[in-house]
Amino acid sequence: MINAEAEPSTLAGRAGDAFSQFRQGQPDAMADLVAMLTPILWHTVRAQRLDATTTEDVLQTTWLSLVKGADKIADPRSVLQWLMVTARREAWRVSRGQSRQTPQELIADDVVSSEESPEALVLRSDTERVLWHHISKLPDRCRELLRVIAFSDRPDYAELAESLGMPVGSIGPTRGRCLAKLRSSLTTDARWEPR
Amino acid sequence: MTTPNPAGWEALAAESMDDQDAATLQLLATLYDQIDPVPSDLVERLQFAITLDALNAELAELQQMDALAPSGARGVDADEAKTLTFTSESLTTMVTVTPAGPDRVRIDGWCAPGGGVTVELRQLNASVEVQADEDGRFVFDDVRHGLSRFVVRAARPSSRPPVITPAVEI
Repeated sequence: MINAEAEPSTLAGRAGDAFSQFRQGQPDAMADLVAMLTPILWHTVRAQRLDATTTEDVLQTTWLSLVKGADKIADPRSVLQWLMVTARREAWRVSRGQSRQTPQELIADDVVSSEESPEALVLRSDTERVLWHHISKLPDRCRELLRVIAFSDRPDYAELAESLGMPVGSIGPTRGRCLAKLRSSLTTDARWEPR
Repeated sequence: MTTPNPAGWEALAAESMDDQDAATLQLLATLYDQIDPVPSDLVERLQFAITLDALNAELAELQQMDALAPSGARGVDADEAKTLTFTSESLTTMVTVTPAGPDRVRIDGWCAPGGGVTVELRQLNASVEVQADEDGRFVFDDVRHGLSRFVVRAARPSSRPPVITPAVEI
């Protein structure tokens, strides 16, 4: 089936279309949806500091909940938000069970994370290393928000920020404080070359 | 705006996003792709988990691969046949894949116990179903190369769950 592209295609919109097709009896559309949304959901859960194996379990539980509860989602276009909220909730549940960080600690803002990690060594370019340096200095919540929305499209930002428990309007048409903090931090760095 | 202070970023926060922000976010995505890449087969594993769950199926294992051609060298040694055997608790399925013209193969299969079972061949965006004869033999005579799975269902409505094989390249 070919979708009439009346409005600009965004990740949330494409996901909504695929989910509608699934509900109309096209099982293959679910496979498309999984392929489409795995990157953003992976980063949503990994930002909660779960290891790779646990993250995979969380994602599997999330998708099976969607398949089982497919009829309960009122608006197919909200499927991406639904998945993100479910994945984060499941990540919290699992991390509590493993007595790792509690949600409260994860929510605590203005916790400055460790400086550059060995992970930064894999980065290819100086520009990326500079960006990583400044991202590492952001509060955890800002880093989580920016990491997740980086895998979506601009018109989706406001809704996704809401799914992540950030105040409505904290990002979207306006830059929002997390992106502003990053930008302000980057502009002080002589090594940063905006594109 | 180049002076960083609390008021500085608050003013920045109220401004509209611009292309530079978009470029920064795009770079951020490539950065996280490198630092914490999505495992390459995660999508396939998640899709498979959904399929298994939907079918409430029994999972078969690939037992042996008597590939006369080196695996993965399809096209080069395309005139060679290969035989695959899948087993699970309730069923054994054996299939022989034989080249049948350009980019096409023929699959001869046998299920045990398999009298009258329905065998579905699943490929990307395609699915074909055939019925096995009373001895459990079945044929798909015009199949495209590609990642494939078999789903075997019992002849009559029964409590026996369907059996699904792992995906194999044929």
